[in-house]
Amino acid sequence: MTIDDIDTTTATASALELPAIEVEHLSTSYRIHVGATTAWGGFLDLLHRGSEKDRVVPAIRDVSFDVPKGSVTCIVGRNGAGKSTLLRCLAGILAPQEGRVVVRGRITSLLTIGIGMNGRLTGRENIRLGGLAIGMEPDRLADLTGDIADFAQLGEYIDYPVETYSSGMRARLGFAVAAHLDPEIVLIDEALTGGDSKFQSRVAEKMNEMTSGGRTIVLVTHGMMAVLEMASQGIWMHQGQVMEKGDPEQVVAAYMRYCRLESTEMDMD
Amino acid sequence: MTTVDDETARPGRRDPAPALEVSRRPNPLERLRHVWRYRELLGNLVRKELKVKYKNSVLGFVWTLLNPALYLVVFSLVFQEVLRVQIPYYAIFFLSGLLVWNFFSTALTAGTMSITSNAQLVQKVWFPREILPLAAIGAAMVHFLLQAIVLVGALALFRRAPSFEYLPAVPVAFLVLLVLAAALAIGLSAINVYLRDTEHLLELTLLAWFWLSAIVYPYSLVADRLGPAREWIASLNPIIPIVITFQKALYNPDPARFAWYTNSPTFDPNNVLADQAAPAIPDHPIGWYLTHLAAVGIFAVVLLLGALWLFGRLEDDLAEEI
Repeated sequence: MTIDDIDTTTATASALELPAIEVEHLSTSYRIHVGATTAWGGFLDLLHRGSEKDRVVPAIRDVSFDVPKGSVTCIVGRNGAGKSTLLRCLAGILAPQEGRVVVRGRITSLLTIGIGMNGRLTGRENIRLGGLAIGMEPDRLADLTGDIADFAQLGEYIDYPVETYSSGMRARLGFAVAAHLDPEIVLIDEALTGGDSKFQSRVAEKMNEMTSGGRTIVLVTHGMMAVLEMASQGIWMHQGQVMEKGDPEQVVAAYMRYCRLESTEMDMD
Repeated sequence: MTTVDDETARPGRRDPAPALEVSRRPNPLERLRHVWRYRELLGNLVRKELKVKYKNSVLGFVWTLLNPALYLVVFSLVFQEVLRVQIPYYAIFFLSGLLVWNFFSTALTAGTMSITSNAQLVQKVWFPREILPLAAIGAAMVHFLLQAIVLVGALALFRRAPSFEYLPAVPVAFLVLLVLAAALAIGLSAINVYLRDTEHLLELTLLAWFWLSAIVYPYSLVADRLGPAREWIASLNPIIPIVITFQKALYNPDPARFAWYTNSPTFDPNNVLADQAAPAIPDHPIGWYLTHLAAVGIFAVVLLLGALWLFGRLEDDLAEEI
């Protein structure tokens, strides 16, 4: 498939209806170096990818889905199901081995907590660095810095190095940055676990505001309540494959059924 | 990441974000475009490098100025007083070479570690990764300019003017130095993610390289012993043409001083340096220097293309391996 093939059929329709993210037959795997290789041998392996000595662990296997504009897509699944890897592929941080990902709109990836904050820089400096790394316009970023500081409720700490922050403060700053940088697409990985309950409610509020503002959200979560409350689409991943996708209630039900089944099996052992 | 033509740039939308095929890696031209688009980030990373380097230090940037001054004190003591190698205005001679070397070694050291030390950013956000080693080079350029002040101070102190005839070759030499440093920093930064041995190996290599680069001793001291093959052997070290160009342009002792040295009572005929009436730096017209710089320049450009190719090969798994 070439670039020219996409969307030629829908070209006449409003381009606004194109999905924000298209994932087609995405596959990727980790290579684990087995045995002691020499440094030079290891270097040669880099150039000839896929040496026999490596054990190849598939992380994502033939995953396809669309994320419509303005929707909230929740991805659930056990640890190691490939959820975070998938998010990294969507963010362009990892290059998949097969398949393709097309993204329409500026992405903010809130992978885990914070956008790569440097502990030795102040909160304010981190906002600037992270914003620019995401691809923000410098002028717009300068205007937003005050709002971000207010939302994160850091007070004077905004001008202190991030290494002096508590983990809750970091999480707050991380979310505030991601939420304010006017992203069209937000990728969130378990970020909601940080912060106190008061902040949690502000997070939920902000998420609602973001979705009603036409933004697209992809959320990796273990909280089934969050899926049922917010999601317009659910995806259950297991061992790198999509087991179920579509209606959030169905996806959650299928996933819960699997979890129960597995725990009874464990009980029998 | 590659821009996909979304045929009609969505009508009725302000600031249409282009469709990106994030799963495909860009070609070299697109890479350059990405770096240009993220130039503001590059500037900020340079500022960050400078700031973090002297964080929690009282003297801060004064260290950048003190570094060549302290080196000078040590080497003057050892060479002029202990080993009695007599070079007039040793301070100016030494500082002009050290200026080149300090840029080169800071750029390489910081550049090699640039990706691993910015792991938090690399793992979480996509941006053109070449920006990181380039930021290390940018920070090294700031140090270069500051250390140039020390050299200007030395020139003023000894009331020596640079050689205006050779001064035009200095920007050329710096440009070549910049390309060479960029090539090595980009290549090594990616390799270091996979093989952390690189940064340790680099430390030792730089030490040996420093002593092989005619910075503390004059080039003619070795060149004359190498015999007819000297041009060929010296060209194995690409930093030498750059160093001696800087020395030739900035170190400009009065030729009469040499006569004073050879006639002085302290003159030692067994002293290898003093017994040559020839200057410490090859006495060739500026064209000779430019030709040698051009040769290194071509080598550096080829090296840069190779480094970019390697970077592209290794980039895919950076976030995972880091």
